[in-house]
Amino acid sequence: MPPTSGILAWFTSWLDWLRSLFFKREMELSLVGLNKGGKSTLVQVLTTGQYTEDTIPTVGFNMRKMTKGGVTIKMWDLGGQQRFRNLWERYCRGVQAIVFVVDAADLDNVPMAQRELHSLLEKPSLKSIPLLVLGNKNDLPGALGVQQLTDALNLKALTDREVCIYSISCKRQNNIDVTLEWLTKHAKS
Amino acid sequence: MAATAQDSQAPLRGPEKKDEDREDETEFSPFYGIDKGAVLQEARVFNDPQIDPRRCQQVITKLLYLLNQGEVFTKKEAAEVFFGVTKLFQKQDINLRRMMYLCIKDICPGADEVIIVTSSLMKDMNSKTDLYRSNSVRVLCKIIDSQLLAQIERYLKQAIVDKSPVVASAALVSALHLLGNNAEIVKRWINEVQEAAQNKNNMVQFHAVALLHALRASDRLAISKLVSSLTKASVKSPLAQCLLVRYVAQVIQDSQPGAGGEQRPFYEFLESCLRHKAEVVIFEAARAICNLRDVTARELTPAITVLQLFLSSSKPVLRFAAVRTLNKVAMTHPLAVTHCNIDMESLISDQNRSIATLAITTLLKTGSESSVEKLLKQIGSFMSDIADDFKIVVVEAIRSLCLKFPAKQRALMNFLSGVLREEGGFEYKKAIVQSILVLIQEIPDAKETGLGHLCEFIEDCEFTYLSTQVLHLLGQEGPKTKEPSKYIRYIYNRIILENATVRAAAVSALANFGAACEPLRPRIIVLLRRALSDNDDEVRDRATLHLEQLEGKAGGPDAVQPRLDVNLVAMEKALADYLAVGTDKPFDISVVPKAPPPARAAGSGALGMPGASSTSGGGALPAASATRKDPTAEYAEMLRSIPQLAPLGEVFKSCEPVRLTEEDTEYAIFCVKHVFEGHIVFQFNCTNTIAEQVLEDVSVAMDLADAGDFEEAFTIPLDTMPLNGVGQCYTVVTRPPGAIATGKIVNILKFKVKEIDPGTGEAEEEGYDDEYVLEDLEVSPADYVKPTLLSNFRKSWEELDPSTEKEDEYGLGVREGLQEAVEAVIGILGMQPCEGSEAVPPNARSHTVLLAGIFVGYQQVLVRMSSGIDAANNVAMKLVVRAESLELSEAVHQIIQDA
Repeated sequence: MPPTSGILAWFTSWLDWLRSLFFKREMELSLVGLNKGGKSTLVQVLTTGQYTEDTIPTVGFNMRKMTKGGVTIKMWDLGGQQRFRNLWERYCRGVQAIVFVVDAADLDNVPMAQRELHSLLEKPSLKSIPLLVLGNKNDLPGALGVQQLTDALNLKALTDREVCIYSISCKRQNNIDVTLEWLTKHAKS
Repeated sequence: MAATAQDSQAPLRGPEKKDEDREDETEFSPFYGIDKGAVLQEARVFNDPQIDPRRCQQVITKLLYLLNQGEVFTKKEAAEVFFGVTKLFQKQDINLRRMMYLCIKDICPGADEVIIVTSSLMKDMNSKTDLYRSNSVRVLCKIIDSQLLAQIERYLKQAIVDKSPVVASAALVSALHLLGNNAEIVKRWINEVQEAAQNKNNMVQFHAVALLHALRASDRLAISKLVSSLTKASVKSPLAQCLLVRYVAQVIQDSQPGAGGEQRPFYEFLESCLRHKAEVVIFEAARAICNLRDVTARELTPAITVLQLFLSSSKPVLRFAAVRTLNKVAMTHPLAVTHCNIDMESLISDQNRSIATLAITTLLKTGSESSVEKLLKQIGSFMSDIADDFKIVVVEAIRSLCLKFPAKQRALMNFLSGVLREEGGFEYKKAIVQSILVLIQEIPDAKETGLGHLCEFIEDCEFTYLSTQVLHLLGQEGPKTKEPSKYIRYIYNRIILENATVRAAAVSALANFGAACEPLRPRIIVLLRRALSDNDDEVRDRATLHLEQLEGKAGGPDAVQPRLDVNLVAMEKALADYLAVGTDKPFDISVVPKAPPPARAAGSGALGMPGASSTSGGGALPAASATRKDPTAEYAEMLRSIPQLAPLGEVFKSCEPVRLTEEDTEYAIFCVKHVFEGHIVFQFNCTNTIAEQVLEDVSVAMDLADAGDFEEAFTIPLDTMPLNGVGQCYTVVTRPPGAIATGKIVNILKFKVKEIDPGTGEAEEEGYDDEYVLEDLEVSPADYVKPTLLSNFRKSWEELDPSTEKEDEYGLGVREGLQEAVEAVIGILGMQPCEGSEAVPPNARSHTVLLAGIFVGYQQVLVRMSSGIDAANNVAMKLVVRAESLELSEAVHQIIQDA
């Protein structure tokens, strides 16, 4: 490792620390959703701004931290395969927001996404944690829009918490900025 | 980079230092008395938004401490801790991460939960920090399934050849663990493992050699090749070299012994290891040589020489290892060890008592007749210092020495009686008494002194078991001595002084004297009269009975020592049945089967004994098969006592009982097939389990439609089926004399039911007929054959007509091993293995068993069974049969086909 980059890294982290002294804002959120929904890709896009095509399936979870606009965001990116779904709840406890990513173009699996979402939110430990639903892959033909997804996922039934939905595309970087804005708004001060 | 490497090494050195500290302050564990509940409360810090690595480490340490103290965590608690720990992956702290790895490995919740850390571990596996890489590999391999393993395979391959020895070793050891369930995948890494075997680091080389061997473990040829290539390559690590020596020893063990005088393969390699720098390798090689099968004195010499040097080493562990190995060699090659006697004698006073004891027992084995007294004196000086376990070893060594030099029995016997008087636990005293008993039996000269010592011993013996045993022996042997009267006092003292059990034994012993020695009888009678007022029933009963007998009543003096020739197991069962029925009829002892003649039991014991002592593995098997009980003898007497069955002649074979009812049904019925020359008698052992019913006139009707050669002759019904006892009814069928008739028989149990009135407890007058369908019974050719012992199989084989030979091949499918397969076939055929051929040599890939049997009508059948096993444990077998007729040969094949 060249010494310059070490110093640079040290400098940025020092800067972050300095900034955090003034704006002590941070948040923790969990990313859930069926497999191949685009959770890990979204994390990649959020942290680096880069879109990568061939993400490998997450076996378990990935932890990523990022700092945006004076807010440190800790993201638990959870695996979406069947065997991990009943473990989501453990990583959603105590977070400031649950982000549910759904593949808006994969119409066959939307009903299953609806079932998994509702069974997760039923858990008493997750009561009143704000929910952000992201309909990913809106660049693909036939992708559901915000209204259609709201109905398909039966979001109107979730009355005991703040619910928000955006239609996004990681590939085209559509609506990534509004997503980020929603997140920073929900950070605890 | 350099700094991180240093960091990861530092914690590795930590524990050693701790060990040193521990010696000083073992009393002050910082965790002493911590409480599980409190620690679990503390574990909540794992979920804090801001993680304090130091605090978390301490909590994990406490959790691990509790786990290692045997504290049990419920599933919920374990899951809570585990998920808490997984959240710590957000912190990049080397010391914390190491504790996390340990915690995940130890607490390890269910398989479906633990996979959650897979991705995090995979990330660590590609980290730059050695400590992350090595430990994540270990944890990952512990939790992974084969599907995921295929995905991360290439990382593991890289790890095996990693520059850092810590990582390479972790990967190699993990691969060893993975081998159990994922052998196919691990086998693909062979090139990397081979490269690691050349690693300069000792630990890596050690693990790589172990893995290379494990990869080939099932293939003897490949092992042999591997070993020969490794012996030529330079294996530098002493531990790896030790492994190699062991593998070489295994290869030598498996190889067929060469024709006379030919040098063993690899012997030179073992010998060269005796000159290795490392002591551990030298010892391993010496031990390997000493354990060689049929080792010659010439081969032993260099190994004994290095062991002799170890005897005078300053390190206790080397002295112990050497003396222990020499002790073992002394059993088979006492002469080879005699060179070391001088060194060994100085070890008798070694501070370490284990070394001293082993030295003594070795000297006892190798010592000459002249040195016995000197040795005994030396042993006596430290006998009181050693633990009972070692005392027993010494006592046993003295016993074998005494048998070897009967002339020295006086000194040795004196020694034994001396130690008998000293303090000691039951096992130790028992060993001494047993030794004296053996010596009394084996050495006639020792009898009088031995009995004298035992008499003194029981004067002050706190163990009832030993007292009664000695008293019994005195009763047996005392009357035969020159001066029986001198034992009377010792025995009578017991009647006055001891507890009831001992008193009863003493009464019986006294009675024996009275019965066997006419001149003493009046005096014994006087003594026994005094026991009549004893406050214990058993003592009084025995005294009364023996008095009557000695006075000529109740069978007379000869009946004092009745010779029961009944089978004791059968006797016990018959008595239990008799008590269960609760009739007023006296017990009839003639229905109890006679014991098999004792001569035969002694014969088989004598055959089994030398085998068991020379080769402990293979020798145990013939002994086991020799004691396989023969049901025929037990039943023969029983059948003879039934008048209707007497005309049928001598029973040829009785089979094992077969259950014909399900468990927990109303009636329990077992069937025993008795094969006669022209008949088969089916004996049905019937038990009623319902207290509310009386079952009368019980018989079994047989439908012989599927068994054409049989014809029903008559039945012997059972009057009443006893409640929870056993009653017998019989059905007899005829078949052409000597024929091997087979078939399936449908059985129906017929009986008359009478309900018991719950009010009066009496059975009703009127009953009704009922039937109960039993399971089908099969008569197979195996029922007609029984084992027979042959002294010369080859001769008998050649005497039989070759035209009766019949050959066939069979696949036996996947088996545990050849031995298990061979035993299964022997069990099915029910024939006698000859010439010890039933013992398969360890690791043999093929084997031939010789079997002999006789069919009904006393016709001989011989079988050569050759079987082989392949790498996947598939067993195939070829069966060649010769008999007195072709029909019989075919019948044997039929047995196998039916099985």
